[in-house]
Amino acid sequence: MKAAPFAYARPAALSDAVAELVNADGGGKVIAGGQSLVPVLAMRLARPTTLVDINAVTGLDALRAVGDRLEVGATVRQRRVEHALESAQVPLLRLALPWVGHRELRSRGTVCGSLAHADPAAELPAVACCLDAELRLAGPDGERTVRAREFYAGAMTTALRPEDVLVAVSFPVAGPREGFGFAEIARRHGDFALAGVAAHVRADDAGDVSAATMTAFGVSDRPVTRDVTGLVRATGGDRSELVGALDDVVRELVDTDGDAHASNGYRRRLLRALAAREVAKAHRRAVRGTAEVGA
Amino acid sequence: MTSIEEPVQKGLRPVRAEADDTVEVRFTVNGTPVVLDLPARVTLADALRDHLGLTGTHVGCEHGVCGMCTVLVDGEAARACLLFACQLDGAEVVTVEGLGRPDDLHPLQESFGRNHALQCGFCTPGFLLSAYDLLNNEPEVTDEELPAELSGVICRCTGYRNILTAVSETRAAYPEGIPEPGNCARRTLVGRSGGRSATVAEEHAEPSDEPARTVEIVLPEGEPTIAVQVDTALDVPFDEVWRVLADVHVLAGCLPGAELTEELGEQLYAGRAQVAVGPIKLSFHGIARVLEQDRETGTIRVLAEGQDTGGARTQADITLRASATAAGTDLRADAAVYLTGRIAQFGRALAGDISRRMFEQFAESVRQVATTGEAPQQSHAAPSAFRMVVATLVDRIKRIGRRRGGE
Ligand SMILES: Cc1cc2nc3c(=O)[nH]c(=O)nc-3n(C[C@H](O)[C@@H](O)[C@H](O)COP(=O)(O)OP(=O)(O)OC[C@H]3O[C@@H](n4cnc5c(N)ncnc54)[C@H](O)[C@@H]3O)c2cc1C
Ligand code: FES
Ligand code: FES
Repeated sequence: MKAAPFAYARPAALSDAVAELVNADGGGKVIAGGQSLVPVLAMRLARPTTLVDINAVTGLDALRAVGDRLEVGATVRQRRVEHALESAQVPLLRLALPWVGHRELRSRGTVCGSLAHADPAAELPAVACCLDAELRLAGPDGERTVRAREFYAGAMTTALRPEDVLVAVSFPVAGPREGFGFAEIARRHGDFALAGVAAHVRADDAGDVSAATMTAFGVSDRPVTRDVTGLVRATGGDRSELVGALDDVVRELVDTDGDAHASNGYRRRLLRALAAREVAKAHRRAVRGTAEVGA
Repeated sequence: MTSIEEPVQKGLRPVRAEADDTVEVRFTVNGTPVVLDLPARVTLADALRDHLGLTGTHVGCEHGVCGMCTVLVDGEAARACLLFACQLDGAEVVTVEGLGRPDDLHPLQESFGRNHALQCGFCTPGFLLSAYDLLNNEPEVTDEELPAELSGVICRCTGYRNILTAVSETRAAYPEGIPEPGNCARRTLVGRSGGRSATVAEEHAEPSDEPARTVEIVLPEGEPTIAVQVDTALDVPFDEVWRVLADVHVLAGCLPGAELTEELGEQLYAGRAQVAVGPIKLSFHGIARVLEQDRETGTIRVLAEGQDTGGARTQADITLRASATAAGTDLRADAAVYLTGRIAQFGRALAGDISRRMFEQFAESVRQVATTGEAPQQSHAAPSAFRMVVATLVDRIKRIGRRRGGE
């Protein structure tokens, strides 16, 4: 099917983009890469009155280090982040990106678009939550910053109001004693995950674990993050011990009912195995003392 | 620290259009700059197919899943069904038509053919451009990674093994990087839905206040859609035949469905021609220029160009050669015909058959006129075209029947 008619605005300034959304009076929609929005329009699941294309807005296409954070602007394509030198400083982002759809979608899809879309099974929202990223939003009353862990309110529901534009997201740059893990199980490469996990472990100079976090996705209506520092310390980061140790956390995190693709129990088994493996990997990397991506 | 600020997508101009407005888009398709005026909701896939007549880009699911519509946008593979054409202002698009030429295919196309990597061929354009993007931008990809990297396109005929082999072979053959698309050049693009779309051919564009008739006929740079060659032995002496060829009015009268309406001087003529094929009726208005008319060699060469109100366009470079033989005259016609827009949909083979029949009819008319000295009797309502198509189809069916019959 084809999209229903809509008014189209492609302003050059952020304030004009916000003004268009305000004028649309709830009927406006931002379009960045369109890789999630266009299918929805084509199926006529949404009929916005105005599409506000932010691709000509100056300043939104910056990918840059600001202090000890990496800032990714709203129109920065996923594929650019995948290959940019700058993003090597955020290894988890690099680990997760190849899992996002296919190359042909990442060439247009943006990092911020994925965060704003808030699909519960999407990879990048989980990365943002695991790393405690900060989202910069612009609305009619100016800009505000929201932490990723507070941004998600449910499936496809976020702190964004209809007249807001997500301007950029910033991720903390990894230090030398931080390790990461990322994995998911999907029915085929490029599909949304049945269950997935992002893991982060930080060690101190003596090699002791100072913080450990895991975020699960595809198993709830939003990415869910837990502090697992105690468990990692208790198991010494050993994978087979972690499988049992993580059992309670996993049980609590998986709260979707079963669907056509996987039962609730199957998702738990998947998540338990993935979480143990990726947390152990993150631990190994952190203790080894390099923030490298490779195994 | 480091900061890379890429400029805002080249040429992306601010716009505002109401839901019933159209948006002007300027972009490059296979090396040809085009200007389209489209409703904002028209996807790139539809713009390519319907407004530019480039039907090589296939459409399957229309929501990003199947990969049939994959094209290159600024050098990277993208789903043409997930982009509104208006978003591509200033962009450079390459479709399968730009990848290689019929007589000089891109190495990837060669390899797909060699390895039987296409069965029905519906997924082939998508696979070719996805593979091109991969080998061009990520040449270090390994054989083990190929299945995942090419999983963005679905083949319903399940020819994956051969597709992987074809891509792997091409990569191995070009370790220094695969050759660029080989068929990107300025050419005329006219859509099937006609009307608002247009091609800019800046070097050849005529000032708008001058009448179109002073324009030179500039043939597209690419391969012709069809090349026709017809040899006819006429039982009439050379002099008689040449008398027909030497008089442009009589000559035009011999062409089925054609009519000369105006003489513009300097060997330039205006006219119209009607062709009806099945449900499609085309009424061309156009011009023709006689480039060469040489009795010594018995040669006449004509460039012709016609445009249909529906946006179909045809251009042709026609050479007729008459030579005396013992039995009378040999008349040989060579034509390179360029079709764009709706008529290009016929497919090469059928369009070629129809053109060939037109020339055969033409030769028959020339024979009649040369023999009887009378202008050919033909109506301009183009009933002949209809008969022509029926005859063409009957011929083909007979041929197929014969093959089946084991002859
Ligand atoms: C076949 C297919 C497979 C896919 N597989 C995956 C997958 O495995 N994992 C995955 O994560 N995604 C997947 N996607 C979705 C897509 O590729 C995501 O990357 C992303 O959601 C799209 O980003 P975008 O820039 O294209 O957003 P758009 O489609 O432009 O926008 C998506 C939504 O976010 C809003 N939005 C976008 N940018 C902003 C902004 N700056 N401010 C405010 N609101 C904004 C839009 O209004 C819209 O509601 C898939 C898509 C397809 C078609
Ligand atoms: S038609 Fe575009 S991906 Fe299926
Ligand atoms: S060859 Fe038929 S779909 Fe791939």
